[in-house]
Amino acid sequence: MFMRRPNQIRVKVAARLLKWSWVGLVACVLSPLCGAANAANTADAPDADRISLQLHGFGTLGVTRADTGGAEYVRDLSQPAGAGKRWTAKVDSLLGVQANMLFSPQTEAVLQAVSRYHFDGSHDPELTWAFLHHDFSPDFSLRAGRLGTEFYMLGDSRLVGYSNLSLRPPPDFYGSLVFSYIDGLDVSTTFPMANGLLSGKLFAGRSPEKAPFGFGIDWDLSGSNMAGGYLDYLNGPWQIRFSHAQVRFKREIPIDDWLVLGGFTLPPYLSMVPDMAMARQAAHFSSIGLVFDQGPLNIQLMFNQIRHDSPAYEDSKAGYALAAYRFGELTPYLGISRSFSMEETLPSSPLPGIDALTAMMVSQSHIDQYTVTLGGRWDIRKNLAMKAQVDWINGKPSSLFLFKNPDPINWDGNMTVYSLALDFVF
Amino acid sequence: MRTLPLLLICVLLGVASGPHAEPVVVVNARSGIERLSQDEVINIFLGRYRKLPNGAQAIPIDQPETSALRAEFYRRLVNKELNEINAYWSRLIFSGKTSPPRSASSVSEVITLLGSHAGSIAYIERSQVDPRFRIVLEFQR
Repeated sequence: MFMRRPNQIRVKVAARLLKWSWVGLVACVLSPLCGAANAANTADAPDADRISLQLHGFGTLGVTRADTGGAEYVRDLSQPAGAGKRWTAKVDSLLGVQANMLFSPQTEAVLQAVSRYHFDGSHDPELTWAFLHHDFSPDFSLRAGRLGTEFYMLGDSRLVGYSNLSLRPPPDFYGSLVFSYIDGLDVSTTFPMANGLLSGKLFAGRSPEKAPFGFGIDWDLSGSNMAGGYLDYLNGPWQIRFSHAQVRFKREIPIDDWLVLGGFTLPPYLSMVPDMAMARQAAHFSSIGLVFDQGPLNIQLMFNQIRHDSPAYEDSKAGYALAAYRFGELTPYLGISRSFSMEETLPSSPLPGIDALTAMMVSQSHIDQYTVTLGGRWDIRKNLAMKAQVDWINGKPSSLFLFKNPDPINWDGNMTVYSLALDFVF
Repeated sequence: MRTLPLLLICVLLGVASGPHAEPVVVVNARSGIERLSQDEVINIFLGRYRKLPNGAQAIPIDQPETSALRAEFYRRLVNKELNEINAYWSRLIFSGKTSPPRSASSVSEVITLLGSHAGSIAYIERSQVDPRFRIVLEFQR
C-alpha cells in the first residue's frame, strides 16, 4: 500500500463530513418545528392543523462468527466481506434515523438515513427514504421520491431487526437482493373483499445504488430501471402475497477490471463474448409469500424465482419456512431455507481458453444449499429485544454465490454461523 | 383453548390476577356508526384499512402507553402483547407506510379526542361510557 498524502486524507475527511452534513442540516431545520410539534401534541386541538414532526430510529448491535474460514458469511450481497472464524459486528450492526413530517392527516414527508457496513466496505450513511406520501382517500395513496422496494414480502423492512422475528432475514431467500430503494413513485390501493382485505401496489423508478462485485470493485446499478408490484389478500390470521419485479440494468458489470485484478491480461472480455453482457438486460423476480399470524403463533412460508436474461448470472429459486411461538417475553423460532440455481447454456467463443473463463465467471453465481435456523427472541423491555441464533448451512462446495471470498481449497459448502444481536427502536 | 397461552403467560410472569380492565370500543354518538365487526376494528387499529362503513376516514386513538387498558385491548382484539404490537408498528413506520393510532397522554384526553371528531374511534373502560359515545364492539369474555 502506498502512503496517503496528508491533503488526500483531508479531502477524504471533508468528503465524509459533507456526507453527514445533510443529516445535521435536516436536524437544524426541523428542530424548531419539533418544539412546535410537542406543543401541538399537548394542546387540546386534536387535529394536525400545524405541521408536526416525529423523529424515530432503529438499530442493531450484533456479533456473528462462523465455524470455518472457507468462505465469509454475509447478510446479503451488498456486503463486500463477512464473518469468518472471528466474531465480527459488521454483518448485522446498523443504525437508522427517520423523520416523519406531517403536513396534514393525509400528507407527510419521510426522510430516513441508515449507516451500515455496505458495498464499499464503509459505514457511510445512505439516504434510504426521502419521499412525499399522500392519501387521496383512505384506500388510495401515492408516494414519490426515494422509496423502499418491495421485491418480496417483508422486503422493505429487512434492516429493522426489531420488527422481524429472526435475527436477520434468511439469506437463502433475501441474500441475493442488493436493491433496497428506488428514485420513483408507487401507488397502492386497498379494498374489502369477502371478509378480508385485498390490496395492491405498483412501483416504478430508477436505482441509485451500487453493489460490490469483487476485489473491491463496485457494480454501479444507478440508472437501472425497476418496476414491479404485488397483489395481497389478508383474511383473519392469513395473508398471501404474489409479487413480481423487474430490473433492467443500465451499466455493464465491471468484468474487465475484475479479470485484471484476478491476474488475467486479455482484450476486453465482452468484445470476445458479447452475449455475456448485463447492460440493457433484465432480471425478473417473482415470489409468493404466505403468513399465518394468530396470537402467539407466527408462521411464514415464501418462495421466489429469479430469472436473468443474460447468462452471466444463473437463474435461481429459493424458499423458506419459519415458525415461532411466543411464551411471555420469549419467542423461540425454527426455520429452514433452501436455495439453488440452474446451470446456464453458456455462449461459446472460438478463442482458446475463453469458454473456461466464461464458465468460471458464471460459476461464481452458483447456489445449491439449505440452511436450518434455530433461535430465540427475548423482549427485554419496551422497544428492546435480544436475539441469539444458530444457522447450519449445508451446501455443495460449488455453492458460492451467497458467500464472499471463498477459498477454493478450504470451502466445502458447509458452515455453522453463531449470532447474537440487540435490536432497538426509539 | 385460546385462554390457555394467556394463562400460561400470567403464571410465567407471576402476574397477580387482579380484576381485569374491560375495554369496549366506542365512537362519537354523532358519527352515525351503529356497530363494527372485530375484523373492522382490527383493520382500523392496525392501520390496514381506515375507512368507516359510512365512507369517512376512521381516526383511531390509543390509550396512554403505560395503560393496562391498552394491553388488555390488544390482547382481546388480536391476542397480542404490546411488545408485538410495537414490533408490528416499527415495521410499518420504518418502511414508510401507515402511522399508528394517535397515543393519548391521559384517559381524559381520549375522551376529549373522541368528542372532537366524528371519525374518532377509541376503546375505553366500560364504566366510562356516557351518552356522548356509542359502543360499537364488545369483546366476549
